[in-house]
Amino acid sequence: MNMDWYLVLSALLFATGAVGVLIRRSPVVILLCLELMLNAGNLALITFSRMLGDQQGQIFAIVVMVVAACEVVVGLGLIVAMYRRRIPLNVDDLRQLRG
Amino acid sequence: MLNLLLSLPLAAGVVACAMPRRAAGWVASAGSLGVLGLAIALVAGFDASADGLQHSVDVSWIPGLGVRYALGVDGLSLFLVALTALVWPAAMIFSALREIERPRLYFLMLALAESATLGAFLAQDLLLFVLFFDLMLVPFYFLIGAWGGANRVPATTKMIVYTLVGSLLMLVAAIATAILATPAGGQLTFSIAALQSHLLSTGSQYWLFCFFAAAFLVKMPAFLLHGWMADAYRAAPLPVLALLSGVLSKVGAYGFLRVALPLFPQATTHFQELILVVALASILYGSAMAFTQTNVRLIAGYSSIAQLGFITAGIFSLRPDGANGAVLQMVNHGLVVVPVFLIIAVLYERAGSEDLGRLGGMAMRAPVLAALFLVVTLATLAMPGSANFVGELYILIGLFQAKIVYAFVASIGVALAAFYALRLYQRTMHNRAPEGVESREIGWRDGLVLAPLVACIVALALYPQFILHRIDPSTSAKVALRR
Amino acid sequence: MSATTYAWLVLALPLAGSLTIAFGYRLWPGRAAGWIGTAAIGLAFLASIGALTQLLGEPSEHRQLTSSLWDYASAAGVNVKLGILVDPLSVFMILVVTGVSTLIHLYSVSYVESDRGYARFFSYLNFFVFSMLLLLLAGNFVLLIVGWAFVGFASYALISFWYRRETATKAGMKAFVINVVGDVGLVLAAFFVFRELHAFDYLTVFQGAAGHFHTNQGVVVAICLLLLVGAFAKSAQLPLHTWLPDAMEGPTPVSALIHAATMVTAGVYLIARMHPLFELAPTAADIAAFIGLATVIVAASIALVVTDLKRIIAYSTMSQIGYMVVGVSIGAYTAGMFHLMTHAFFKALLFMAAGSVIAAMASRQDIDRMGGFRRSLPYTSLLLIVGALALSGFPGTSGFFSKDEILVFAAERGGFYWIFAIAGYAAAAMTAFYSFRIVFRVCYGEPCPEAEALREGHMAHAEPENPVTGEPEDTDVGFPGPEHHVAEQARSMAIAMGCLGLAALVGGFVQIPGVSDAIGHFLEGTFANSKLATGNPPTGDAYLGLLAGAVVSVLGIGLAYLLYVVRPGLAPALRTRLSGVHRFLVNRWYFDELIDAVVVRPTLWLGRFFDDVIERRVVQGLVEGTVGVVRGTSTAVRFAQSGFVRAYALLLITGFAGLGLYFLIVSS
Repeated sequence: MNMDWYLVLSALLFATGAVGVLIRRSPVVILLCLELMLNAGNLALITFSRMLGDQQGQIFAIVVMVVAACEVVVGLGLIVAMYRRRIPLNVDDLRQLRG
Repeated sequence: MLNLLLSLPLAAGVVACAMPRRAAGWVASAGSLGVLGLAIALVAGFDASADGLQHSVDVSWIPGLGVRYALGVDGLSLFLVALTALVWPAAMIFSALREIERPRLYFLMLALAESATLGAFLAQDLLLFVLFFDLMLVPFYFLIGAWGGANRVPATTKMIVYTLVGSLLMLVAAIATAILATPAGGQLTFSIAALQSHLLSTGSQYWLFCFFAAAFLVKMPAFLLHGWMADAYRAAPLPVLALLSGVLSKVGAYGFLRVALPLFPQATTHFQELILVVALASILYGSAMAFTQTNVRLIAGYSSIAQLGFITAGIFSLRPDGANGAVLQMVNHGLVVVPVFLIIAVLYERAGSEDLGRLGGMAMRAPVLAALFLVVTLATLAMPGSANFVGELYILIGLFQAKIVYAFVASIGVALAAFYALRLYQRTMHNRAPEGVESREIGWRDGLVLAPLVACIVALALYPQFILHRIDPSTSAKVALRR
Repeated sequence: MSATTYAWLVLALPLAGSLTIAFGYRLWPGRAAGWIGTAAIGLAFLASIGALTQLLGEPSEHRQLTSSLWDYASAAGVNVKLGILVDPLSVFMILVVTGVSTLIHLYSVSYVESDRGYARFFSYLNFFVFSMLLLLLAGNFVLLIVGWAFVGFASYALISFWYRRETATKAGMKAFVINVVGDVGLVLAAFFVFRELHAFDYLTVFQGAAGHFHTNQGVVVAICLLLLVGAFAKSAQLPLHTWLPDAMEGPTPVSALIHAATMVTAGVYLIARMHPLFELAPTAADIAAFIGLATVIVAASIALVVTDLKRIIAYSTMSQIGYMVVGVSIGAYTAGMFHLMTHAFFKALLFMAAGSVIAAMASRQDIDRMGGFRRSLPYTSLLLIVGALALSGFPGTSGFFSKDEILVFAAERGGFYWIFAIAGYAAAAMTAFYSFRIVFRVCYGEPCPEAEALREGHMAHAEPENPVTGEPEDTDVGFPGPEHHVAEQARSMAIAMGCLGLAALVGGFVQIPGVSDAIGHFLEGTFANSKLATGNPPTGDAYLGLLAGAVVSVLGIGLAYLLYVVRPGLAPALRTRLSGVHRFLVNRWYFDELIDAVVVRPTLWLGRFFDDVIERRVVQGLVEGTVGVVRGTSTAVRFAQSGFVRAYALLLITGFAGLGLYFLIVSS
């Protein structure tokens, strides 16, 4: 069975996510795109796990899911907090990291 | 025993953090007093005839890199440990007697600093030494940066940049030493004793020595590497400054004896003249600066440069007498500089100024303070009869036999010291009191902090042999390695 | 008890006295501190006598005893013990020191009574005596240096005793720094000795020296010259003398004790003690003798014109010590030590009498304002005259015998040493002149208002002012406080002066050519191995010398009588006629200015140079250069820190993509 297609799909998903992160301004969408990238990674991991015939890739994928869940919790929490303080939900307006 | 010694201050500091604000200082001080007790036991139980390590602890720590948690005390470090254990409680109690913002953090930092300093003196593994050497910097960064006076932020930045550059060079050199010394396929080790038996080729010794020397000389500080000194001294809170000048500066000199001399004997011989020139420049420059300054902290600061110059010169006479004198002088100098800064703090409370022009006439109503300061001053100027003189005597004997011209130049520093130290005493204690100086006797609590230090100075003046006898075997061994 | 036990006791008593007074400074009522101090030194004197009798009990070749308490600093081949050497020379010296000190303490009990630093004064004074004894009894170079420095410190503390006077603190500093220069000389000499002979111990060094060095070998000359730096700084010989006149800022008993009788003679003791080395280095010894002679003449000439009472005596001290230095340098050890002893008597006496006069003048010291005290202060005047007679070497007094013994030895030694005799006698005439200048100005002539007031039974009181600058005194420091004390009204002062007066008159009889040789005989134990100290000059020549001494002394006194009593107008006329010489002398041969220009200014300039150039430019430049580089880099980096999170993400992704691409290329 040819695994290449899985990897191509993974790369496409990743690219979609990355472009989304780069061009969108809404933090919610960026978060969604990040999730997309992570899942692209997961897909790649599982594919490799299948290719090599061991379980480590799957374990990694589960770890990534846990991390993603945590990240969503924190990210959404931040977005809600920003919304409550009436901070505009636009990442370009948040430039406090400027050197 | 050494584990307890190392962890007790920090443990007390952490406990102090959990205490109410008023009690924090006393808990931390109690911890440091415990350390003092341990240190006294250490000195009492010390076998003076042996030149090897005593009370050794040696546990594998990072096996993959061959780093070991190796501690030990020998004649070289014994009295420096004792000095640390003696002056830290003084500075802590002195601070605890005063109102300090955020006391819990302050004392935690002081306690951490004590542990780190003790660690640097006790470490017998090169990487562990480097680690403690750098760890010392952390609490002092916060102590000066957060509790310091005007311009503390630029001052701390400058200090950190200077010392960090030195430290990084040293880290690189330490790793390189271990790697270069390990034969192909052998197990990597950072143990100083093991490294000593696999000396490096002369070429690599040269640059490694330079890296180490840079770190040590910055720490002291030596002439031309002292750029951080003036600002940091102006900004630091006085009890912290006492420790910085009294103990931390000695770690640099100690490093030469502990690391540089045994590991790089050929390089040491090669660079002897260069380091001696730096040392002499420090002596002359420090002394000349000390008597043009009017800020009392800077007088003490530049005099420290001069004294550290003497110590370096003693070490680099590369003779047992010079090195013995250097170790003795490290202890002595720490012992006198700490009370000097504490007394400056007491004076500041009375005069509201640290400028010689606005001080004076203090002896009138404060004879006890004046007497304590007088003893300290005389010891600072290494008056014959003080242990400092014996230290200088040994240093100069060593230097005299090694390089006679240098000894003559160094002795100019002795005469200059008399002038600036006495000037400091006279302009603060004697003459007429300017406006705004309140001549008030030292409080009995502060007196109790200072009295033991002064008592130690006097006791050592009577019997310097106490130290010399114990340091001689290991110090001589360090120097003898070269041949 | 053995002689060494007594010697330890001699050391311990003053130290104990000093500490007792210091620690109980709030407890002692009234004059208790003074009496404790006096008792401590008195007991030390008794213990010195004990040491003397024990030493006399030994056969004369076993009179060098050593004893040590503990290892002081011994490591790495250096061996220094806390040890003393008891031999005739040190016993002779401790007898003189403790004896004179006891009397000066006794004098001070009354003299400084109204000083608020009473206890402090006696604590320092006892400490000084302890230091001096340590210097004398030290059995090795290190302990000698310790005593040497302690003495310097005690001198500093007592000169700036009235520490609110800026002139006093400055003078103290000057004395201390010059003394430290001397200390350094001594330390370096000790290093040379150690380098050559590997010992600090006197006896080992002296025994080793004879076999190790040959005569006038460079290194032994260097050792001796360095020793001389120490000796000259302490004994106020040219050019390290400028501190001594300024040291008169201290209370008068201090001037008597430290700056006349004891401490300043330490240099003479040092040369005598180191005579085995000096005899191996005749060049250095000759240099010492010539500098001593120069000091004799320069100081005596300055003393002719100075008008400050205490400073006249101070210059006279310098000059007399010059004689002693000449003596011990040319090998007249007995004569030198003899003169040291008699000088201690009459110079202490002169200072005490001067103190009494100054008290009567409400602490003014200018002899131009004094006069006619012989009726109002009869006892003081009498003793002032006794002291002046002994100083001028009037026949029969102690100074007569001791000074001439040195000069006769010089004349007898042959070679160019006759110069010392000629110049010495010339200076002796000057000495007689300025001694009686004091007497005639102070005791004779029109009584000044203070003398008048005293005759009517009350002491003069003036607003206390600094005798040098004239600014009002801070009376918080006490003395010169509300009360003054003169010998006529204070018994302890009178007793002390009386004893010294007697000693100054008859002290010379212990050593008369052809009659007795007590001191020479006793000191033989120390100087037995000396090549130079070979017996006394022929008695006939000695009497010829005494005759010459008597003549110049009477001549000097007669001249003073002519100028100040018979024709008082002559002195001012002379001063205008010789105004150039006068100005030169009043400015003390411009030595202070010379030292200022050669040493002080360059050092200060160097300090400023360091501050301006090195500190500001080089060190700060290094710092700023580093900072500049860091700042420049950071500006560049800042550019990338736009703050747009998306820009960072883009960078990240590009970076990773680039990295991935790189690995792809590398692996393929």
